Amino acid sequence: MTKLFFATDIHGSDICWSKFLNAGKFYGADVLLLGGDMTGKAVVPVIHQGGKNYRVTLLEQVFDISNDDELQDMIKRVRSRGYYPYLTDPDEIAELEKSPEKVSQIFSHEVLKVIQQWMDLADKKLDSSDMKVYCCPGNDDMAEVDELVRSSRRVILAEGQVTPLDGVHEMIASGWSNRTPWDTHREEDEDQLRVRYEAMISKLKDPRNAVFNIHVPPYKSSLDEAPELDKDLRPKMAGQALKPVGSIAVRKVIEETQPLLGLHGHIHEGRGASRIGKTLCINPGSMYEQGTLLGAIVVLGKNKIENYVLTTG
Amino acid sequence: MSNLFVRKATGLVRSWSVMDAFIYAFFSINLITLGLYSFSQMYYFEGGMVNALIISAIFIFFEVIVYAGLIAVMPRSGGDYVWQSRILGGAVGFILAVTGWWFILWLWVPLYGDMFRHIVVVPLLGILGAKDVALWFAGTQNGAFTASLITLAIVSIFIALGMKTYARIQKFSFYGGVLGLLIVIVLLLTGSNAAFKAGLDANAVSMFGTQPGVYDATVALGIDAGAITPFSGGALLAVFLVLPYMVFFNLWPNWGATLYGEVRGATDFKRNVAGMGWALGITTLLGILLLYAISKTIGWDFYVQAGAAWWNYAWGYVTEVPALPVWPYPALLAAFLTTNKVLQFIVVVLMSLWWFGWSGTVFLSSTRVIFAAAFDRLLPEKVAEVNERTGTPVNALLLMVIPSVFIAYMFNYNVANFQSLTLASTLVIAVTFLGTTIAAIILPYRKPALYKASPIAKYNVFGIPLITVAGVIFGGFLVFLLYQWIFDPNGLYGIGITNTSSIIYMLSMYVLAAVIYFGFKSYRKRAGIDMDKVQAEIPVE
Repeated sequence: MTKLFFATDIHGSDICWSKFLNAGKFYGADVLLLGGDMTGKAVVPVIHQGGKNYRVTLLEQVFDISNDDELQDMIKRVRSRGYYPYLTDPDEIAELEKSPEKVSQIFSHEVLKVIQQWMDLADKKLDSSDMKVYCCPGNDDMAEVDELVRSSRRVILAEGQVTPLDGVHEMIASGWSNRTPWDTHREEDEDQLRVRYEAMISKLKDPRNAVFNIHVPPYKSSLDEAPELDKDLRPKMAGQALKPVGSIAVRKVIEETQPLLGLHGHIHEGRGASRIGKTLCINPGSMYEQGTLLGAIVVLGKNKIENYVLTTG
Repeated sequence: MSNLFVRKATGLVRSWSVMDAFIYAFFSINLITLGLYSFSQMYYFEGGMVNALIISAIFIFFEVIVYAGLIAVMPRSGGDYVWQSRILGGAVGFILAVTGWWFILWLWVPLYGDMFRHIVVVPLLGILGAKDVALWFAGTQNGAFTASLITLAIVSIFIALGMKTYARIQKFSFYGGVLGLLIVIVLLLTGSNAAFKAGLDANAVSMFGTQPGVYDATVALGIDAGAITPFSGGALLAVFLVLPYMVFFNLWPNWGATLYGEVRGATDFKRNVAGMGWALGITTLLGILLLYAISKTIGWDFYVQAGAAWWNYAWGYVTEVPALPVWPYPALLAAFLTTNKVLQFIVVVLMSLWWFGWSGTVFLSSTRVIFAAAFDRLLPEKVAEVNERTGTPVNALLLMVIPSVFIAYMFNYNVANFQSLTLASTLVIAVTFLGTTIAAIILPYRKPALYKASPIAKYNVFGIPLITVAGVIFGGFLVFLLYQWIFDPNGLYGIGITNTSSIIYMLSMYVLAAVIYFGFKSYRKRAGIDMDKVQAEIPVE
């Protein structure tokens, strides 16, 4: 039997990454799997006001900082929500407002800097461990993230691969999703997704004992219920109106292949487990901005799931 | 945060409409169903109805701040269950969530059914000329039980249709219902007491076959029943003693709050406060306006006496059918001011939308809690199964429907004095809210890092976090309510320690929840899952 721990959508949260690396020991897992969307959603300018004074607007609240301790505390606070603090001054802010394209360069730099720090931390923390750690970046993660994961000694990039988890179970993995309203880094049409998945499935030795680690959940699986949006990306009915937004291609390949397990993310509100035929599909959800690592422990047996539980760490 | 520094990423949505949040909260503290139903039962208080409406709304505004604050700190997390689990522990979170959001809703089903027959079925049948069927629904236990069963069928259909469709039904019902209420208020404000007396006598005879002189006979019955509640005024203590009954109506502006979506900043916190707060404020003002309009034309004393006459009979204190043999529904009484049957029909149909736009909420919240507990392996996986063809959570629905049928039977046939349990429906949820309020009070101290990095970190009152201050005020209010309900020193509410059925019923729910929690925890442990560890925080270092 193999005990795996799966978490996903940690969106730049240092706390969640540290917890993920510690989860193997904490839960007694043999394998750690991180689903997609490792990177954060926003840069928070920390604007120098002269001397040791800085001004920060976090979550629409203005904080004035007057010493180094407060500055470090604020940087930690910003990082705890998965945002990237960026030390700057009023002149640069004025310049960035005139040329927004420079902001995306800053964004890439900050995102990749943190991913590099994460890989370094993983290499250091797991150096003396035989824990297997796999990452599969998601649709929100830029392509450069893959290179940094590849460069890690301890973290294995699983995207597009068939990976043996033990003597019985293999895993296919992909962070690509169906189209979203946000036109993110890794999304494509359903037929292209299907081709992508089938290329991996065709290489499986025993598809019925496989794990499908696919970021986007299957369509209409109840793991893909997200607030319905209007044309301005505003939630309808105050977020009460939910609709399925998962991938039809994922659903089709699961229905046809009937793997042992599907591991998904993408929809943070979609925490839960459901069955598609004999396949157990799990979306542990995400509360990264609270520094809480939602996850799933699954014990894989031959031809069956021995046990599973969703965790709140 | 400037949009300049936010990149395109999945789930980055704009703020939801305050109006949409307002509609959901507005229907949760439903003036026509919960409001008029409870007002009619509150005939024996010395405190003024309007004073109680205003004072309760002031306290409940602090509930709005507590819930909006928790949503800001821990958004999209699943509400009371998760907030309490993470701050107060898994056992407290589970027991208070399943009792307050699941088990007690079984008792709400016959109450929803009772309102369904009084607000929808009986008035419509009366106007359509089906006198005997109307009276069967209004005045027999079989009729009441049938109304409960129809209610169960309707809300089950709402569940099967899904939240997306029901949200649309709700929005349509909001506009239709408000239009109906405006017509009712205009009818009442432009009518006269003499016209009402004449209309009542004429319509009660033609629709329900009563004897002439309904008005005077109802006044006499109401006086005999002890109808005294004033429109306004009364000593402060007397007004406060009305509050434990009043909150049956307005304790719920937070009902849909847990799904209000991603909170990106302080603005979203204010939007949450605005959505729920405006609903509370406008409902309170509408309530005062409606009561004033009733007072002007129907007559306040008659309104209270009619309620007293009906409930004195319905609760079994007298056996003789009242002169007006149906619940004194103010919308129907207002419709008596016109002889135009079509207008009467339109008014009652539009006012029925208040029930249809609200009733679905009875099971929607319950199914969420059942699912959350199943995903935490505290219930069998089967209960969270969804029918692939229809998308209906069949097993979760059965866990609601089957016990509800049993409780509806007990209530409608008054087995073991179950009809006296109306306010127990509110007490158990208030206990759940108290658990959440305590979690809110201590949140900034138990989870300082989480709180400091939240959109409400800068909201303080004399240096004390606003969520803590609001929690203490609302928590104090809840403690007052619980004291009055449980110890009932003035014998006003009938669900406390002197009512054995009530105490046994409520305690048995907590015992059942504890048995499920500790039973499943033990079962999972034997299967190798340590539930304490599953809920515990992973060390960061």
